[in-house]
Amino acid sequence: MSVFLHDYRPYDGVTTSLWRRPLVLARYGMAEAWGSKITTILFIAALLPCVVELVMIYLADNPVARMLVLRGSPVLVINESFFVNVLETQCWFALVLAAWIAPRLVSFDLGDNALPILLSHPISRFGYVLGKFIALAWSLSYVTWMPVLVLLVYQCYASPEPWAMAHLGLAFGIVVGSLLWIVVLALIGLAVSSWVKWRVIATGAMFAVVFVPAGVGGITDAILRTHWGLLLNVPVVMTEIWRRLLGAPPLMSPQLELPNTAMAVVLLLAGLACIAVLNARIRAREVVRG
Amino acid sequence: MNAATDTIRFENVSKFYGEVLGVNRITLRLEPGVTTLVGPNGSGKTTLMNLMTGLVQPSRGEVSVLGLKPSNATEFFCNVGYCAQFDSFPRGLTGFQFVLDSLMLFGMSDEDAHGLAVEALERVQLDAAAAHRKIAGYSKGMRQKVRLAQAVAHHPRVLVLDEPLNGLDPMARAESLALFQELGRQGMHVVISSHILDEVDRVSDRVVLITGGYLIAQGNIHEVRQEVRDKPMQLLVRCDSPELLASKMFAVNHCVEARLHADGRGVFVRTGDVDQFYRILNEIAVEGLVKIEAVAPFDDNANAIYQYLIGSEGGTV
Repeated sequence: MSVFLHDYRPYDGVTTSLWRRPLVLARYGMAEAWGSKITTILFIAALLPCVVELVMIYLADNPVARMLVLRGSPVLVINESFFVNVLETQCWFALVLAAWIAPRLVSFDLGDNALPILLSHPISRFGYVLGKFIALAWSLSYVTWMPVLVLLVYQCYASPEPWAMAHLGLAFGIVVGSLLWIVVLALIGLAVSSWVKWRVIATGAMFAVVFVPAGVGGITDAILRTHWGLLLNVPVVMTEIWRRLLGAPPLMSPQLELPNTAMAVVLLLAGLACIAVLNARIRAREVVRG
Repeated sequence: MNAATDTIRFENVSKFYGEVLGVNRITLRLEPGVTTLVGPNGSGKTTLMNLMTGLVQPSRGEVSVLGLKPSNATEFFCNVGYCAQFDSFPRGLTGFQFVLDSLMLFGMSDEDAHGLAVEALERVQLDAAAAHRKIAGYSKGMRQKVRLAQAVAHHPRVLVLDEPLNGLDPMARAESLALFQELGRQGMHVVISSHILDEVDRVSDRVVLITGGYLIAQGNIHEVRQEVRDKPMQLLVRCDSPELLASKMFAVNHCVEARLHADGRGVFVRTGDVDQFYRILNEIAVEGLVKIEAVAPFDDNANAIYQYLIGSEGGTV
């Protein structure tokens, strides 16, 4: 029988506040996400269109260059539509990046049964998801609003006309539109990755979650002769939102126009579904399906 | 310090995973020291540990660890260290980073976390060079050590270790067991589940036997063995004349078996009445025909109790 000396002293030093703990997991997540060469390649690929767009802005704003290269053609106009196209391009690259990164953040932990160890710390399941969310959202920011804002700032600087003051609203639209897409992608990415432990399948499943409902919506429209099936088409819904936020002409004709409320409800429901999946799957024990 | 804040308590605790029974109606009180959970696979040991560490909530009943509830996450988890049975780590980290980040999840400053991580890795005897290599390149034993370091690093008062000896070589096992024993002596709660009963037996103050989600027995190993009255107790008597002793023991009714030890310097006796056995042994000693050197129970260990109460070979649980 042991003789209990009771001389064991627990740690009694100062501790940081609870809200800072998910940042440790976010740091883990960033290291995990960017530790892959493929992430770097995807990141570089996502920035290549920005280089092309930067050249286009330069050509549009520099009369000499426009004269030499475009022979004075007025086809290149930098306006709201131009930035919607830039934002769209970057946001679809963000989908590819999210499909690659999200499974690395969650599927590995689930596959390795690392959750019991992580959740036996003073961090909740919400804190865990928040940490991963921050890592993913920050990673996606590198290819969405950050480069697009840089292009906007360059356009404001390079434009020979008083362009900036008339287009300040674009900055708001770019940031809000990007963040909305980042939130949607991050939630879908984390939910799919928590459901599918095999990373490659999780990557594919993420594309399926975005594009399969679009097909279902198209079929619904054709059968019921309605246009409400477009609400299941995430690419269309998001493009419409970006256009409205940036003040560009709408994508669809007025009779096919989707109300803001309907689009907001669809995104909200999608988000809630993802949260429900995360709630079911992110557990400190093996979750047995069925 | 009162009893409630110094014990781990389960009050009529049940845990169901849907229709699957984890544990049922467990009432248990664990004092400081080393406690071994013994039971076959799927018996509910890990569920019991998960309840203790706040990783799962009971379906019924109440769990309290040193008077703390898991709902009070900050204080609760700072007092509990957990080493999971899974060989699982966040990827891409070195052993040192893993322990350091674990400490930062407990809310410690960089400086404190650094000092405690070094201390914990020294405690489990993982050398500094290895600690700064990626865990992915570690041997199974080194991974086990890092997990253990992570569990003890923040100075918890309760240490819950699920299969902590798996993958360790004999030397590392001995070192780990010495560490558990030392922590138990210092007044810490060390709760271990292990399949290597012979080894944990030596450091355990008490055993908790569980099978099919039900608590079978609990308490000091020797006391539990005494309670198993339907199984004759086996004792080893070291003496100078084991053949004579065996023949004398065969003459009494309660002795059901007497077998010579392989080295010829002792006899195993299986008796249904220990008190009677000791009385007769005293008489034999007084007669002076046999010189008794030592008497020791041979089956009051976790492995034997496991076999008696649960009915399979403890070493292959």
